[in-house]
Order: sequence, then C-alpha cells, then structure tokens
Amino acid sequence: MFAWRKQGRVFDPTTIAHADWMNEFAQGPATLVFDDFVRVYFSCRPKADANGQYESRSAFVDLDRADLFRIVRFAPQPVLPLGGLGEFDEFGTYPITVARHGDEVRAYYGGWTRCASVPFDVAIGFAVSRDGGVSFAKQGRGPLLGADLHEPFVLSGPKVRRFGDRWYLWYIAGSKWIPTEGRAEPVYRIRMATSSDGMHWERLHRDIVPTRIEADECQASPDVVFANGKYHMFFCYRYSLGYRGRERGYRIGYASSTDLVSWTRDDDRVGIDVSAEGWDSEMISYPHVFELDGRTLMFYLGNQVGRHGFGLAELDGVLS
Amino acid sequence: MKWIKRGLFFEPGRHRLPYGCTEFAQSPQALVFDDFVRIYFSTRARDAGGQYVSHIAFVDTDRHLRQILRTSTGPVIAQGALGCFDEHGIFPINVVRHAGTIHAFTCGWSRRVSVPVETAIGLAVSHDDGLTFERVGPGPVLGPSPSEPFLVGDPFVLVRDGRWHMWYIFGKSWTACPAEPGPARVYKIAYASSSDGRVWERDGAPIVADVLGDDECQALPTVIECDGVWHLYFCFRYSTDFRTNPRRGYRIGHAWSRDMRRWTRDDAAGGLGLADEGWDSEMLCYPHAFRCDGQAYLLYNGNAFGRDGFGVAVLEQ
Repeated sequence: MFAWRKQGRVFDPTTIAHADWMNEFAQGPATLVFDDFVRVYFSCRPKADANGQYESRSAFVDLDRADLFRIVRFAPQPVLPLGGLGEFDEFGTYPITVARHGDEVRAYYGGWTRCASVPFDVAIGFAVSRDGGVSFAKQGRGPLLGADLHEPFVLSGPKVRRFGDRWYLWYIAGSKWIPTEGRAEPVYRIRMATSSDGMHWERLHRDIVPTRIEADECQASPDVVFANGKYHMFFCYRYSLGYRGRERGYRIGYASSTDLVSWTRDDDRVGIDVSAEGWDSEMISYPHVFELDGRTLMFYLGNQVGRHGFGLAELDGVLS
Repeated sequence: MKWIKRGLFFEPGRHRLPYGCTEFAQSPQALVFDDFVRIYFSTRARDAGGQYVSHIAFVDTDRHLRQILRTSTGPVIAQGALGCFDEHGIFPINVVRHAGTIHAFTCGWSRRVSVPVETAIGLAVSHDDGLTFERVGPGPVLGPSPSEPFLVGDPFVLVRDGRWHMWYIFGKSWTACPAEPGPARVYKIAYASSSDGRVWERDGAPIVADVLGDDECQALPTVIECDGVWHLYFCFRYSTDFRTNPRRGYRIGHAWSRDMRRWTRDDAAGGLGLADEGWDSEMLCYPHAFRCDGQAYLLYNGNAFGRDGFGVAVLEQ
C-alpha cells in the first residue's frame, strides 16, 4: 500500500476575498510547473444565482515552488471566457487540464450547458494560451470532444498527458441518467482517447476501470502518472445516488497499467482515505498526482467536492 | 426546372395516426419499394407537461403518388432516452437504401434552458424493411464541432460510387430577441462525406450563398440529379418574425452544381413558388426530392410549417 502523508489544506477560496467569481469551490486541481512556482489550475464559482444555480469559472493560484503552502499570485481573471448563448460551455468551464506544447500551453476543459429534462450536459473544449497559461483562447465555439454514437452525454473530467510522441486524454463519459424525486443523476465512467497532434482524437469507446462498490458507480478525475516502469492512475469514485455525505461520497481509487489501455484496479493500494475530522473527513476526490523536485505529491479535494478548496499529500517513497 | 403542383396530398387530420396525433405531417421523406412508396414524416403530440414531442410516422402510397394505401400504426422509432440528444423527438428522418440495408439519419432534438432547443444527427437501421428502426447507438453520429457550435441537423444522405454524401445544417448564432417567443437562431447548409456512413469528414463551411443577408436561415437540404446537373433544394427564411408574417416565412430555395461541391444559387430557376391561395400560399418549407419510375417528385410542406400536411409536385419532363 502507498503511504500518503497529508500535509493539510493549501487553499480555501471561501476565506479569501480575491474576486466575486472566486467565491467558493476550488475544484479539479491541475498543475503546471514553472522555475520558481507551481501554477495550480482549478475551477471556482461565484455565488449561486436567484434560482440557486451555479456557473463555474476556471482560474489558477501560483504557489511558491519551495513552499507550496505559500500563495504567490492569483489569476487576475478567469483563464477562459464562458461560451455565448446556446454554446456548449455557456454555463461553466470545469475542470481544466493543461499541457505545454512548444511555446503554447494547451487546455482541455469540460464545458457546461443546462438542459430541460436533466440538469446539465458537458462536452470537452480546447483552448490555447500564448502567454504562459494566464489566458486561453478557445479554438472554436463548439466542443472538440462531444457526444458521439456510443458516448451520448456528460463527456467531462479531461486529463491530458503526453507519453512518448502520443497525446492521451483520460475523461469520463455518461452512460445513463437515473430519474430521482429531485433531479436526474448521471452515471459516468472513465474512458480514454489518443491522438498524434492533440487535436484529432481516437476514442477507445470502452470503460477502462471496472466498478467496485456498485454497478452504477460513478468515476471521475482519471489522473495518470508514469513511475518505475508502469502507469499509475489515481481517480475518484462514489455511489450514484445519495453521495453528498460521508457514507456514499467520493473516495480516491487506484489502478495501474503497463500499456495504458488495460488497467488493473487495486483500491487497497491507494493509501489515502478520509480523515477522522476536519476539511476532508467526509469525502476525498479529484486527485492530481505530480512529481516535483524528487517528491511525489497529490492535490485533492475534501468535503463537498472542493467547496472549501484543495489540500496536499506527499507520498512516502516512490510509486511502484 | 419546372414543377407542377398537384396540391395537398396527405392531410394528417383525415387519417388515424399513432400517439393520437391529429395535425402536423412535417418534412416528408420518401423510400421507394417495389410496389409502393413509403413517406416518413414527423408529427407531434403533447407530453404530460403540455409541451410538444415529435414522433416519426409514415404513409404508404402507390408508385404514382396518387393513392394512399395505409399509415403506420405503431412507433417507427422509440423515443430517445433521458438526457439523450433526441429525447424530445426526431424531426426529420432521412431514410437511405444502400446495399441491401435501410439506414435512417435522424435530426434529434432536446430542450435546453437558455435556448429552447439543441439538435444533432443520429443514425438508425431497419431490420424489418423500413417498418421500424433501431438506433446504432444512443448518441449522435454528427454533433457540434469547434466550427459548428450547435444545431447540427436536417441530414440528407446520398450514396454514390461508394461514397456517402450528406447535406445538413449547422447553427451559426443564437441571439436574444425580446420581441420574439425566444432567442433567434441562424443556421446554414453544409456538406460532409464518409466512407461508411458513420465517420464523417466536414469543414463547417456554408455551401449556399445567402439572398436575405447574413441572418438568412437555410434548412432541410435535398439533392437530386437531372441530366448531369445536381440540384439542391432547401427552405430559407428571415431569422425573426417568420412564424406568422407571410413576407418573412419559409420559401423554397435552389442551387445547382456540376460537381456536388460548388453550388450556384438560383432560386428563380428552382421553379416552385407560393400559391395565390390555399394551404401553400403563405409558406413553403421542408422539401424532399426523389425519383420513382423515372419521374422526379418534390414533397413539401406549406403554411404553418406543415400543420395541415404535405403536398406533391412533379417535374415537367
């Protein structure tokens, strides 16, 4: 089993008066490492509107590379504009994942729209930054990866990686909506696509991580890192219904692979769980694992899926 | 091209239709059989909340389109599942016979919050000679792309020389219009091609020149070959005040091409205009061209987007 030592919460947007659009939530952390700071992208929200509905905006916080608990800078503005009327990302951009490509930083993100019979739909958009990741220009008004014949809705949670000369995108795809007394709830699982250029993607079109807690288990945040000859995936999973509390809420899971396509799930090895009390005592989710200066680190969300920000854990030893 | 109108052919109120539908027979689309012609169309019922949902039905006629033989009695294709692109209906359905199979390309729609509707193109196949269709998958075969942000729909497919050709529409803009029942949309006709009918190549470029300006809405393309020239029929309208104002509603447009790629718009040469009075005197829309026994036919809707049914025109030889 891995041994993650929790370091505490890094950033809580509800305690910082930076901007109206960064009122609460800091979801889906993703890093871009610079010489003397680590930029952590996340998605946050302004206050809910009169109908109780949220928009989500993508932003970042820069952390001192030598002390990740020291905030150096906040994004002056959201890094992505919302889409126009009727566009796939009209009501939110969440989450966002980034990769350097030459002088550019490329971003893939979940764009949110609102539907009538179900609360939302999500499709994956593509944007490019030429100012080092401070602002991104959308590459078109529509999604790069939207619904297709076999992935009918809720394409979200992108995580982009490059191994060798290939681009990889892990993401989630919805398979059904469960009608409930309140609003319908989606079921989604982890999938992947590959590309030679990061723009034209071939989808594998199958769920790559088996379910464990129930047939309708929902999986998110498929975060892949290579270490010691194999690929390690940290992700999160929860029950499809009644998931807002400790009992059935998000936990972090683990799978490994040697070929990036066949994954063996082994949650017993994950080595991180909810705390007995505090900000991550009810759920832990949206892991992002990265290596920095010889350390293996994980940012992750706590209770209420990141309403009060994200924290840091450090691995004892190495991933193997 | 000179089309001779035969008049209103199918009136939904005079026939028994599934789902208790009594009005609307929109976007007729033909499939020729050995001894009859099947014409699929979209009709409407209201759901529990009083909102419209679209259903596909068909009517079988003789091969001269003179006599109605029967209408469909049950569902032609099941309703889309919760949260799917076609949950609230299909309008229209384009049916293609190819190499012993019958494929249907559907324009599925679902309701949204900030705009009333979103559409995408689905694919279904029939295993019972066109009586019913099953979806190939629950999602769309052609949906929004970076250059086509929404409202991808209205497919019309021809297979020629092993290549699948599709004319369809995509949305260019939604604009808030306080004076209208909802936001105004603008959509244009585009072209895609495929080697298998499932994976499509497209470039998101409009192929038909506007005559009403940038905000012209172009819908429901249909293509027919006559003596080596390809003719594209479609309907077009102003983007606002088009529902009841007969000067701004749908008309039939026309363009021609020798290579199926570059199109020259020439509505006057299309040869189908409003009637002086009657069911197609205020609006002409949703054309569908096909051939049977050497005769070219044009099916189309008239006033009020086809509330009263569809008519037939025949090409003068």
